[in-house]
Amino acid sequence: MGEIVLSVAASHAPGLAGLYEGAPEETKAEVDKMYGTMAAEISAAQLDVLIVIANDHLANSKVLEYPDYLVGMAAEHTGPYEWFKPWLNCRDYTLQGRPDVAEAMITGMARRGTKFFGRRENLRYDDNLSIPTVLCDFDTNGVPVVPILLNCNVPPVPDQRQCYATGQALGDLIRNDLPDGMRVGLFGSGGLSHEPGGKRYFFIDQEFDHWFLDLLEQGDHDKLLNEVTPERMELSGAGGTAELFAWFIVLGAIGERPCSRLGYTAYDNFKCGVGAVRWEMSA
Amino acid sequence: MSFVQFNPTLVSHELVQDLKWDAELRREFEADQASVLDRYPLASDERDAIDNGDFRALYDMGMHPYLGGQLARLMYGNAAGPDATRAVNRLVASLTGEDRPDDRTTT
Repeated sequence: MGEIVLSVAASHAPGLAGLYEGAPEETKAEVDKMYGTMAAEISAAQLDVLIVIANDHLANSKVLEYPDYLVGMAAEHTGPYEWFKPWLNCRDYTLQGRPDVAEAMITGMARRGTKFFGRRENLRYDDNLSIPTVLCDFDTNGVPVVPILLNCNVPPVPDQRQCYATGQALGDLIRNDLPDGMRVGLFGSGGLSHEPGGKRYFFIDQEFDHWFLDLLEQGDHDKLLNEVTPERMELSGAGGTAELFAWFIVLGAIGERPCSRLGYTAYDNFKCGVGAVRWEMSA
Repeated sequence: MSFVQFNPTLVSHELVQDLKWDAELRREFEADQASVLDRYPLASDERDAIDNGDFRALYDMGMHPYLGGQLARLMYGNAAGPDATRAVNRLVASLTGEDRPDDRTTT
């Protein structure tokens, strides 16, 4: 049986790379602290695979044929995709994949009643995978990655309860279908409050962000599921804040665990509240 | 910005996704926008809205805001910094009706 030995979640705004140099010093220090902590912990965790769950951002499928879950099955993942490079302004990277784990996930989730789509070719990655990669050094520390790209944008999207249930099934799959001794990490990538493409593009709802992070630290999953609804998220940024559904997949996979925030910053030009948390997996 | 008016069948979605995924098409769009738009079965009011940079009208027709933001970047600039900031401000100006300078970086 596999074991989830590391679980974190963090924001992935493109400005974290492309606009980082122009940010205030205190913002940069907070970003460095959050992502630096995760980089060190991921590197130290001796992971056999890191599963990164993130918004697809309409990057890989047409609106008319859009999957809720798309798994990157490639032996190597390269990015960022060409059109996103000027926007992200981050280094190119190549990540080792785990096609065997990707196949096990697609098969195992089908048996558990949830359709995970998969592609063997390289997917198009924007900030969803690129930001955690370059800020947490997935490429240089050599951790194998399997991305799950999530539909957070094309209605109807899987809501917090559906994502939590998907996470529960994924956790069961990791514990029962993956090889004995496999050390698995989970990374929920997305959020916090933001509204890309909307009239409140620069808006960051700090009150919501702190409320959500507080709820995570309190650790009551029923309360999270009852209160962090799609409607509440939309008030704090339509089409962007819903990326937090990726965090709900992590929550479902690990169950109630102690959680602590690694940091938070709100800088208008990032156009996104930026925060990170870690769950204690040895508790 | 609710998704209540979202229309998955809007042809503009296919245009934006093709432009993102096809560098040659993007070069043609930058050189001659009209010739690229001519290849898509856009409704006349949809075509007018793109020609006029009228994102408010496109959103009212059901354009997905995320792809609307990317259309703004395809039209006004995609690079991190001044280019993308100009695109965001022109998009927000169209949606809100307010007058926004191209270099504004706040709400």
